[in-house]
Amino acid sequence: MREQLEQLRLEAVEAVREADSEERLNEIRVRFLGRKGELTGLMKGLGALSPEERPLVGQVVNCVKAELETLLEQALVRERDAATTRRLATERVDITLPGRRFRQGSKHPVTLVIEEITEIFAGLGFSVAEGPEIEHDWYNFEALNFPPEHPARDMQDTFFVEQEMLLRTHTSPVQIRTMLKQKPPVRIIAPGTVYRCDSDATHSPMFHQIEGLMVDSKVSFADLKGILTTFTNQLFGQKTGVRLRPSFFPFTEPSAEVDIACVICGGNGCRVCKQSGWLEILGAGMVDPEVFRHVGYDPEQIAGFAFGMGIERIAMLKYGISDMRLLFENDIRFLKQFQGGATS
Amino acid sequence: MKVTYNWLNEFVDFDLSASELGDLLTMLGLEVEGVEHLGGDLDEVVVARVVEKNQHPNADKLSLCKVDDGRGELFSVVCGAQNFKQGDTVALARIGAVLPGDFKIKRSKIRGEESFGMLCSEKELGLADESEGIMVLSEELPLGQPLFDALKIKDTVFEIGLTPNRADCLSVIGIAREIAAKLGRKVKYPVVTQPEDGEPVHQKIKVTIQDPSGCPRYAARYISGCSIGPSPVWLVNRLKAVGVRSINNAVDITNLIMLEMGQPLHAFDYSRIVGSQIIVRRAEEGEPFFTLDNQERKLTADDLVICDKEKPVALAGIMGGLNSEIADETSDILLESAYFNPPVIRKTGKRLGLHTESSHRFERGIDIEMAPKALDRAAVLIAQLTGGKMANGQVDAYPAPRKRVEITFRPDRANEMLGLHLPSDRMADLFRNLEFSVIPTANGTFQVCIPSFRGDIEREIDLIEEICRLNGFDQIPATLPVAQVVSERPSLHQILQRQVRDCLVSAGMNEIVTFSFIGPEAADRLLLAADDSRRNSIALCNPLAQEQSVMRTTLLPGLLETASRNMSFRNLDLALFELRRIYLPNNGEEMPREPLFCAGLISGSREEASWCHGTQPVDFFDAKGIVESILELAKVEHTCWSPEAPEPFHHPGKAARFSVGGVSLGSVGEIHPVVLHNYGIDYPVFYFELNFEELVRLAGAQKKIIPPSRYPDSVRDLALLLDRARPISELIDCVNGLRLKELEEVSIFDLYQGDRIPADSKSVALRLRYRSNERTLTDEEVQKLHQKVVDATTQKLGATVR
Repeated sequence: MREQLEQLRLEAVEAVREADSEERLNEIRVRFLGRKGELTGLMKGLGALSPEERPLVGQVVNCVKAELETLLEQALVRERDAATTRRLATERVDITLPGRRFRQGSKHPVTLVIEEITEIFAGLGFSVAEGPEIEHDWYNFEALNFPPEHPARDMQDTFFVEQEMLLRTHTSPVQIRTMLKQKPPVRIIAPGTVYRCDSDATHSPMFHQIEGLMVDSKVSFADLKGILTTFTNQLFGQKTGVRLRPSFFPFTEPSAEVDIACVICGGNGCRVCKQSGWLEILGAGMVDPEVFRHVGYDPEQIAGFAFGMGIERIAMLKYGISDMRLLFENDIRFLKQFQGGATS
Repeated sequence: MKVTYNWLNEFVDFDLSASELGDLLTMLGLEVEGVEHLGGDLDEVVVARVVEKNQHPNADKLSLCKVDDGRGELFSVVCGAQNFKQGDTVALARIGAVLPGDFKIKRSKIRGEESFGMLCSEKELGLADESEGIMVLSEELPLGQPLFDALKIKDTVFEIGLTPNRADCLSVIGIAREIAAKLGRKVKYPVVTQPEDGEPVHQKIKVTIQDPSGCPRYAARYISGCSIGPSPVWLVNRLKAVGVRSINNAVDITNLIMLEMGQPLHAFDYSRIVGSQIIVRRAEEGEPFFTLDNQERKLTADDLVICDKEKPVALAGIMGGLNSEIADETSDILLESAYFNPPVIRKTGKRLGLHTESSHRFERGIDIEMAPKALDRAAVLIAQLTGGKMANGQVDAYPAPRKRVEITFRPDRANEMLGLHLPSDRMADLFRNLEFSVIPTANGTFQVCIPSFRGDIEREIDLIEEICRLNGFDQIPATLPVAQVVSERPSLHQILQRQVRDCLVSAGMNEIVTFSFIGPEAADRLLLAADDSRRNSIALCNPLAQEQSVMRTTLLPGLLETASRNMSFRNLDLALFELRRIYLPNNGEEMPREPLFCAGLISGSREEASWCHGTQPVDFFDAKGIVESILELAKVEHTCWSPEAPEPFHHPGKAARFSVGGVSLGSVGEIHPVVLHNYGIDYPVFYFELNFEELVRLAGAQKKIIPPSRYPDSVRDLALLLDRARPISELIDCVNGLRLKELEEVSIFDLYQGDRIPADSKSVALRLRYRSNERTLTDEEVQKLHQKVVDATTQKLGATVR
């Protein structure tokens, strides 16, 4: 019996050694260790042995069984590894084929600029206010210190709707509506759609502005410069030079045009800045006392500044768009270039 | 407003280059919008002397000269003119010079003699329209100097974009005043001396102002014996430099003085002024009048007119009349210098669409004290140029002389407002530079007296601005405000706007922005019923174009036009949305309503064509899915979908309206083929729109978070045959209506209508997932639950299990 066992062991070891697949190893396991396997068959013969011999032979059988199991297990790992290696050696994809994409949409550049500017000003403590686009003359002009029959009204070609109603020519009436609704302090930003009857490569009858207004007990022209410097640095990158020039708006005094160093040429002079090195992007100033009087604020007690800028102008500068009409043609070949927000 | 460097230099000394002067003006608020250099391209035309003048050996009418151009070498030049002699100083165009008309001077041989340049005439140099012979110059001019430098014709023209408040700068003197103020110099005002030996003017002119509010001042002079003719070259060139065409010597002087002193003047042919009388009054309603431009104008009682004894002779401050204009045969001139009320001029000019250099100044407000000064200067010049004789004195009707404005100014307030720390002495100096007089008071404030030419300075804040401007905007420091933080959280409306945009963008849609105004025919193109409220739109009084004449009441036209435009470029796979306002008439309320709407349009294939899968066309359910995503995002629940009364622009069988609790939210569907045809679209298009305002109102709060069950699920499929007309929603409602706690999810995984089942039925396959939160369900329990579902659907809906 011992010889038989040894014979069996040798056969099994040889078989395991020669096995070249997981399948083959499973067959070996069944052949020797299975319920009807050869080793199992031998174990059934143990009963015929003498009680003295039985435990001794039994021990040997168990040893052989354990050895076989270990061998099989090792061989199995070996074969699995080999199989994996073989599989990895043969499986290939052409990674140059395009990936399976989900379709990406895009926000309109006007929206992107509004969102970006709103975020910058939110960081400076400004919240968003809105107002109607079909506006009363009083809010659009009179309360902003444009008297009737004043040449300043010529600065803004107006679409009229009916008696005293018009399409707002700027977002400034939101200043008036906000101040009429709340007491100082005020710190708002008002993005919105505005209209002027003017149309060519650089003017659109509909466009967008963002208005800002800050009113508090002690606010100075220097603060306005500080806020606008901070803003332009964040929007166009650090160290964008800012220049304030005297100008005129009926609802601010002093009034300023705000230029930034040309973002195209860095201030050396190019076609975009008409060789001046400066780009006009904002109008601003200290709120005129007349405006405060119209909304019932006491100009002796408080001061404020306001500013406004054209969104399209900024979008065109930021994204290098030369013709404003592209913004309203909505060709998807244009729009798709703003996927992911088109950071500058 | 155009001014030239040299002209300004006549009134104020400055030692600045043209570009430095341009920057100085811009930083004073007089924005230089354009710069033009005059004569700069003629530097090769120089002052030269004719050293020898000989007869040309081969031509009788030509001379052969030796010319010295100051460089020590003599040139041979052939010349055809006869009006000069040996030793004369002349203008030589050297080889390489390019004369006006792109006439290039080259070395040439004329009748066998070489010529190294050309002696020029005024005409050839663009200095005169006609000229005889060549220019013979003063002997004092330095040889070799560019001619335009030597003659001081070289100049720089600045185009200044003036803001409407700066009427005082609508003149050379006004701008010179600004330069003087900035540089701390004095303006050199013109001094006028006129002979006072004529007959008294009162015997020649009588002025009556019937409307002193419209015309607070009217001054006039009389010049007799004038010869009207062309202006001298200096005058023509000066006017030309700033873009004004020469007319005749008298009219040119009125223009020159207007440009120089800011006072519009008008010259009448005195012989046409009936009764030697000027009456300033309002026009009669409907009174006809021919203006200088030969146009008949119908006047109204709002218009101010200058009349003689019988009739209007000028439209005050705007344009003279054809009946009294200066003509070649005019001999005696009545010269007007007046001040008219700005709104009156503006109103008439606007109504008649008549905008002139004169009305431009009057409607902005000129210096009322300038009238007599400008009148004197112009009259003297006209008398000089035309050989006329002035009557003694001027008529000056000025019934209520204006007082100077005086303003209290607090230096502290200025510093506080500007964020500066200027000493008050410095401020007083700045004011004095501007010709404002300053009287300091005991309490540290100033009484500032404003000269009449600064009509824009009325309040302390105006003075603060002047301090800021003259001290320099570049001197303002940049500080950050110290203030309470008042920023508020964005509103739900604002948050949802951004979320919906983000949602649609991640769904692959491109946001568009279209004009808020559309063409009125859109209502017909969309097949809106005659009584559809969306036909009632707000119209513009002055649209730029018919297709931009009414405010939209729906976003659909903009989206369809955009789709159509894109499709014409074969951009066929479209997923567009617009989240913007529509505009609804006020219906008796004070303001129109401007609700925000969200609309989208899809067409073409769902995914881009790829090597790994085919493309499938989008359909109704893609559009509906987008809407459902938005509703889910806003946490709007219990949406009711109805196929009833579809929108007229939708396909009646493939459209739905959706609402919540009876509040209509919007619609979704395939666009009606007739509407597509109306917009020139050849492909199926699916459209949804959603009232964003209602969405915000219905938006729900975040629901309580439920921890997921830790027990295994059991899934059962159920295939049912259902009446084909029965909406699937009834089946789902029926299952959900059982309120089985352990029914975690029910989904539709197959839908079949076709040959293999009866024609009036459809097969629906449901997948039901059962799971308990408390334990593992046994097969028997699941079977029991599932049987309830089977029973309910078969009994209540008449479904049969397949």
